[in-house]
Formats: sequence, C-alpha cells, structure tokens
Amino acid sequence: MTADRSRRRAAKRPPAARRATPRRKTHSRPDPLPTVVGKSPRRVDAGAKASGTARYTADLSFANLLVGYPVTSRFTHARIRRIDVSAARRVPGVVAVLTAEDVPGQNQIGVVIADQPLLAHDLIRSAADRVALIAALTREAALAAARLVVVEAEPLPLVCDPVAALEPSAPLLHPRGNLAAKMVIRTGDYAKARAKAPIVLEQTFTTGHQEHAYLEPNAVVAVPDAGGMFLTGSMQCPFYVQKGVARVLGLSHAQIRVVQAPTGGGFGGKEDYPSEPAACAAVLAHHTGRPVRILYNRSEDIAWSSKRHRTVIKHTLLADRDGKLVGLKATIYVDAGAYLGLSSVVAERANASAGGPYRIPNVEVDTLTAYTNNPFGGAYRGFGQPQVTFALESQLDALARELGADPIELRLKNFLRQGSRTVTDEVLRQPPLAARTAVEARDRSRWAAKRRAAETHNAADPDRRHGVGVASMLYGCCLHAGGQHLEGSAALVQIHPDASVSIAIGASEIGQGAYTAMAMLAAEALGFAYDQIHVVPTDTALVPDSGPTVASRTTIMSGNAVLDAARTLGARLRPVAAELCGVAESDVVLQAGAVWARGKQAALSIAELVTAAYLRKVNLAHTGWYAPPKKLWDKATGRGQPYSLYCYGTLVAEVSVDTITGLVTVQRVTAVHDVGKAIYGDGVIGQIHGGIVQGLGYATMERLAVADGKILNPTFTDYLIPTALDVPEIDIGLIEEPYERGPYGAKGIGEPALIPVAAAIANAVSHALGFPLQDLPLSPERVKLGWEAHRSPAAAAP
Amino acid sequence: MAIDLILNGKAVALDAPPAGRLIDALRDHAGLTSVKEGCGEGECGSCTVLVDGEPVCSCLTLAGQVAGAKVETVEGLARGPDRPLVDAVVEAAGVQCGYCTPGVILAAKALLDAHETPTRNDIKTALSGNLCRCTGYHRLIDAVDKAATARRRLAGDAG
Ligand code: FES
Ligand code: FES
Repeated sequence: MTADRSRRRAAKRPPAARRATPRRKTHSRPDPLPTVVGKSPRRVDAGAKASGTARYTADLSFANLLVGYPVTSRFTHARIRRIDVSAARRVPGVVAVLTAEDVPGQNQIGVVIADQPLLAHDLIRSAADRVALIAALTREAALAAARLVVVEAEPLPLVCDPVAALEPSAPLLHPRGNLAAKMVIRTGDYAKARAKAPIVLEQTFTTGHQEHAYLEPNAVVAVPDAGGMFLTGSMQCPFYVQKGVARVLGLSHAQIRVVQAPTGGGFGGKEDYPSEPAACAAVLAHHTGRPVRILYNRSEDIAWSSKRHRTVIKHTLLADRDGKLVGLKATIYVDAGAYLGLSSVVAERANASAGGPYRIPNVEVDTLTAYTNNPFGGAYRGFGQPQVTFALESQLDALARELGADPIELRLKNFLRQGSRTVTDEVLRQPPLAARTAVEARDRSRWAAKRRAAETHNAADPDRRHGVGVASMLYGCCLHAGGQHLEGSAALVQIHPDASVSIAIGASEIGQGAYTAMAMLAAEALGFAYDQIHVVPTDTALVPDSGPTVASRTTIMSGNAVLDAARTLGARLRPVAAELCGVAESDVVLQAGAVWARGKQAALSIAELVTAAYLRKVNLAHTGWYAPPKKLWDKATGRGQPYSLYCYGTLVAEVSVDTITGLVTVQRVTAVHDVGKAIYGDGVIGQIHGGIVQGLGYATMERLAVADGKILNPTFTDYLIPTALDVPEIDIGLIEEPYERGPYGAKGIGEPALIPVAAAIANAVSHALGFPLQDLPLSPERVKLGWEAHRSPAAAAP
Repeated sequence: MAIDLILNGKAVALDAPPAGRLIDALRDHAGLTSVKEGCGEGECGSCTVLVDGEPVCSCLTLAGQVAGAKVETVEGLARGPDRPLVDAVVEAAGVQCGYCTPGVILAAKALLDAHETPTRNDIKTALSGNLCRCTGYHRLIDAVDKAATARRRLAGDAG
C-alpha cells in the first residue's frame, strides 16, 4: 500500500530526487537484522492475477494463429500396419496433418533416454501415444480431422501390472526388456540381521496413481522466428522444453527461445511433460510457417499427461524387543507406464528415501522400475517419496502395536542423530532435526490426550470412530547425486538508471511464490527496497541453463545465484557511495532503500547513487551463479551422499471414520517442518497448506480408475480432488535452524509439505479402526470392506 | 445478431454467437480473459462469472442466455467498489498460481452481497464449487472472512 503510493508520488518528481521508499523515520543506524527476508510482503504477481490482467497462454493473441492437435488412437498396445491421413487432410479448415516422417529432426522426446517417439510409427505402447498432428483454423476442424485419421494396427497383449511386467513370460514393451531401471541400497548385512531379529514385520503395500489436477491444463504456443522457434507456455522447466524442441526440429539450442508464461500450477506435472505438446506445436509451426497453439481440455490433459507413480512395495522391517530397528528390506515396484520419462529419477528418490529419518543398520532395498501399458508415470510433488513414506511409517505403527508402544516414542528411539549413518551409509554432519519436529508436533497437537480421547471414544464401539496418527519424514533437498550435473543455477540482476531492478532467474514461478522470494532476496542483498525489484518471466535467452524447477531447489539454488549477483553489484556500487559520501568504503552500507555512511543515513538516496554510478560508467548488470559442492555416491550399492542437505518434518493427523459409509474425514493436522529459514513467510505457509490438502486428496479420495491401460475417469466429475469443504483445521510449526549453504539459511519446503501427509492420515485411520491399511487411496469402499472383514473375518472370507 | 447486456457496468452489444458458450463470448469477443477455463464441464469454477449477481459457470451457460442481464467479471470488480475484496485476497496471500483466483473472487462477492455476516462454514460452502489445487483454501477463506469484516465496518461508518 505504502509502496504503491510512494511509487506514484515518486513518479512526479525529477529522477534525481526519486526515492524508493518514503523516509518515515530517520534511523541513526542500519538494522542489524534482515529487513525484508522473513517477512510476508505482497506477492509480486498477485495483483495482476487477482485483477485478471495476468496473461496465461490461452489469453495471448497471435496473428495467423493455428490450433494444434495431437491425434491418439484407440489402441493401447499394438503394431501399426497403416496410418492414413488423406481424409483428415481434406477437412475444410485443416492446414496440415503430419505423421512421423514429417518430423524434421529426431522423432524422440524421452528426457532421460531415447525410448519415446514423438509420433508413433511402428508400435503403439500406450493410450496416450500420438500417431499424427493436426494444424487447423479452429479446434472444431482439428477434431473433425482427428476423427478421420485411420490407424490400422494389430493389437498386442497388454502389460498392466508392474510386478507381472517383470516376469519372464511378460510380453516385452521395449527390446531391452521391461525392467526400465534398477536402483539398490546394500548396507550392513540384512540376511544376518533377519536370522537373528526377534521381530519381523512383513507387509505389502500398494499406492494408486495421482493426477496433478493443476487448474490450468497444458498450454503452449510455438511461433516460427528467424529460422528458429519461439515458444511460450505453461511449464516448469523452460530449459527442458528448449532442448526437447531443438531435438525434434533438428536445430541448435540457441535457435530455440522459450519464455515461461504465467503457469496455472505444476506440482511436477509440468516438469518434463510440457516438452511433449511443445514439440508437437513446434513441428506444426515449423511445417506451416505459422504460430501454432495447443490447448488441452481437461480430459485430454488427464488422459495424456504424466501421473504420480503407482507402486507396489514389499516391505520387511526388523526390530528388537526394545523397539530398535535393526533391518529393512524393501522391493519397490514403480510403474513407469510405456516410456521411461523421469521414472528412473523418481525411483532414485524412492530408493534413497526408503529408510526415512531412522537409524537402520542392515538394509537391502531394490527399486525396480517397470514398463507397462499403463498411464505415464512422472514427476509429482514428493517424487516417489510419499509412497515409500507411507509403507515405512505404516510399518513403524505396526511395530508400535506389536510392542504396545507409543508411536511417537518409538520413532524418537530410532531417529537419526548427529554423526549417525543414514541407510545410504552417509554420516550426517548437519544436525538432524527429526526428533525436534516430532517433539514439537507431539506437544502442539496434544498427542497423548488426543490419542487417549480417541481410544475412550472408540471403546464404546460407535459407528463413527476417531483416530490420531503420526508420520515423520526426511527429505533430501535439491537434486539427487545422480542428477547433480543439472544443479548449477543462474540469475541475472540488472539495476536500471532509475534504480529499479529487474531480475531473471533460471527457475520458474508455478504458483509457489518463487519470484516473490527472489525479489525479497535481491532487495535484502542489494539493500534496495522490495518494491524496486521486478521479476521478469523466465526466459532461456536471458539466463544460462539452470536445470529444472523441481526438488524444492529454487529458493536455495536460484536464491544463492541472486545473492551472488546482488553481492557483485553491491561491490560495484559501494565505492561510488563511499566517494560521494566522503567516507571509506567499509563505512558504507546499503539497506532498505537507503545509503548509510558511518552508521548514519546519508543525504544520498539509492536513486542518486545509481545515477552517479551510471555517470561513472559502472556496469550494473550481473549474472550470478551457484552450484553446490560435488556429492560422492555409488550407484552399484546406493551408498554415499545422495543429497546436499536434508529437511525433516513430522505430521500429526486427527481423523474420524464413518464405518457405515467408509468415509474418512480429516479433522485436524499439525505440521512441523524444519525450513532452515522462511524467506517468504506467507509462501512457506501457503506451501504447507497446499501440500496438506493435496496429500489429503491422495490419501482419501483421489482414485484414478485405470482398466487395460486406459483412464476411465479423466474428468473432475469422476476424479475428485478436495474442495473448501474438505479441508481440516491446520496448525503449523516452523523450526528455523539456518542451513549453512542456504540463502539466509533457507531450505526447501514445496515437497516436504506433502510427503508425510498420506502416511499420517493412514496411521490415524488405522488407529481409529484397529487394523493396518495397506492400500492408498483409503477410498470409502476400501475402508468399509476392510472394516467389515476386520469385524467378521469369517463372513468376509470368500 | 448482437447480444445486449450490461457487462461490468456498461451497456454493450456483444457480437458473439448466442448459441455459443458464454465463456467464449466473454473471452474471445469482449477480451475478458480473467474468465478461465479449467474443465469446461461445470466442475472447477474457474470460469465463474456473476449473472444478475448469481455465480454461474460460464462454460455451461449459452451466450444468448445473458441477453438483458447484468454480467460481472473480475476486470469489472478490480475497477469498482469491490476492489477491497480483490485486495483482501491478495493481502491474505490467497493467490498462488492464480488460475482459480478470478472465479473464487466472484463466488466470494456473490456470498458477501447476500450475507453480511457469513460464518466460516458459509464461506466454505460458497467456495466449494471453486477448485483450488494450490492454496489448500485456508488463505482464501481467511480473505473472504476479512473482506466481510471490512465491508461491515464500511457499512457501519456510512450508517
Ligand atoms: S471451466 Fe467452467 S466449471 Fe470448469
Ligand atoms: S491458486 Fe492455483 S489453483 Fe488456486
């Protein structure tokens, strides 16, 4: 509010006298504490979004724009005999119908390995495989033409289960076999531990697909541009799109420019996937010489885009009679769908995270990623970790039941401590904060009293039962060692002659508040006022490749790059300030939009300083860079340092379960997260709120119905996500223990916010009902059937 | 044939096919791109507009159906007396990706116009037709609550 007014007032004055912020009070000393970081200013992008002036991809206009449309077939697994597009080409309004041979570069879109054709030509391996591309004047014409594309093919047997897919008799989807990737951990001696362990708990868990359900479906425009291609669209990773498009067009990276449009949510769903519609649009634009836009409707988006992986987890936990964990064996089957996409990377995280925040000396984990004809598994907030967390945390509760122990006490006994070895045999040097999050969650939620109250309530055997459950988590923040070559991140910071600042980062804004956090960091480090900082849309032509916007890495990686740039510019401005104020350079501080000389606010404003710097021809633009130290890790054993840092968290969920309908209602959630330092306070809280509600959907209501590889419910009518009426009360505790390499101590929060949610809810439901639950989501049918079987095992037996 | 209506307070003749969807008429023929399409089947509420004060899904409404009616979108609100509601959603950090935001604000306006003192449950019910995948709804509910309080204070000052 003040910022807006000051900006308006400032505009009336001549530039030399412009001041970034009104001088309310003249302080005699700069503030020793950060003045912006840790606060919650107005988001940089909220005003435009709320007043409808933000232009998303569907809102943009282009001259001569064509509608692009990818054509799929009715097959899920088949050998193609013939694709006939002649009738489609004759539909009025159709400008081009293209097939595989029209792809000018490589007909390939796989991000990790080249196993995924952009357009199928010999084999169809999934219901989402494209066989042709259409460009037309209208969507109606494109749809009419799509219906006339004839695909003759010989159906092949389907592979719809990731466990069966790996059996020797399974039909093969790819010549190398159906085992797309294998990760392991081998630490200690599991076989020996198993032979001696007094307690052996074995369970098999399954988790279903989850749809991202970002509110803006995939959208992209490709515009031919001086022999190259310009693209803008809804996406998380402009650099992935740049590489993917260059490959299908056979052009160099430098010929492809990608600018991220305002993006209506991602959650991992717009990590690699948007490269696919972007490649389709680019091929059509290349062929027609006209701009081509592809907008998915909701059912197309659900049917074609990637999902959280379905998994099957065979889990054995070993413990002694005191409740100390002595061993873990897990076989994790990850259903990749028909192509690898990012599945091996997701599997790497599932694998490395299988032991949670616990000391377990003897570990044997195998993570098997299997090709199937099912929907495409991909990145989704948590990246393989919600699944393994559900399995492990359920097992811990099973152990607590077996021992008659309190679940939180049991966890406290087993948490990693400083100097402990993780399951990947890494010695923890930073303080592991799992225990602190658990103690705080226990106390904030009044755990013991609530558990007792629920048990007393349930003792009367009501139809509506209560339960309280817990789950803890360790999250390896930023990219896994396997992907560390992508970790370097850039930020361009440019101070304009009027002392306004623009910053461009390599990461994207997908709703999480990254641009706001970056503006805050730039303001703090430059000493400028927050409202002087503007963040420009992420653009591959402005900053070097900064890897993907994933793994909760933006605040740390892009944030450090912003700080690097800001410090460099500060070092260029300070000598000018010192000269103007007539003091030594060490006596100058820029802070909160003011220049301080010898501890006093100088008569000089930031704007005057910048003007003076320009007159002296000082370069006031700099591209900052940050890359974390190298991590040593051995793929063959899974041992070493998989991540640069860890975030910890504990969640307590309180539920009520209606045993007549099977409906689970989550009443209250207490979430305690170790965030290092909350840079943008409202952003951190927003991530936690959103993560809890998305996790609640995953745990209780989001069921993707898949039969013979086809999604049966690709609509919001049939795939239910939480509404305002489903949200629990939420209490949040933040532990702010600065991380030495984080900007102002920050860690990541995007994914930790979701990871433990389903596990805590499942444990609460199991507390309410008195038996373990092995399958997510806890849909009403499953809960009701489980309850009936539990009550009268004989009657329920087949 | 043009459709006559009062659009964001102004009488306009919208040159759009009456048998087409209202969302397309508003976006393509009136340039009101705050009206977002999230599902096209009445489930997400991103396309919410007010027709004579009532929230409707413009993806399920035919353009011809609003002939003679008052239609409001967030572009109109942002310029008019309901600006404080827009600001409340911004100030309460109710905006993340922003795709649901215009629809949410219009659903909230309809509630506040009908109820002076909505409870949190009233607010949840009023917003239950608007899906938001980012915020977990808490900050949106807070924003509407605050906007209701601010409106009452204003009304009190005036009276
Ligand atoms: S677009 Fe109209 S309700 Fe979703
Ligand atoms: S803010 Fe993204 S859907 Fe609501």
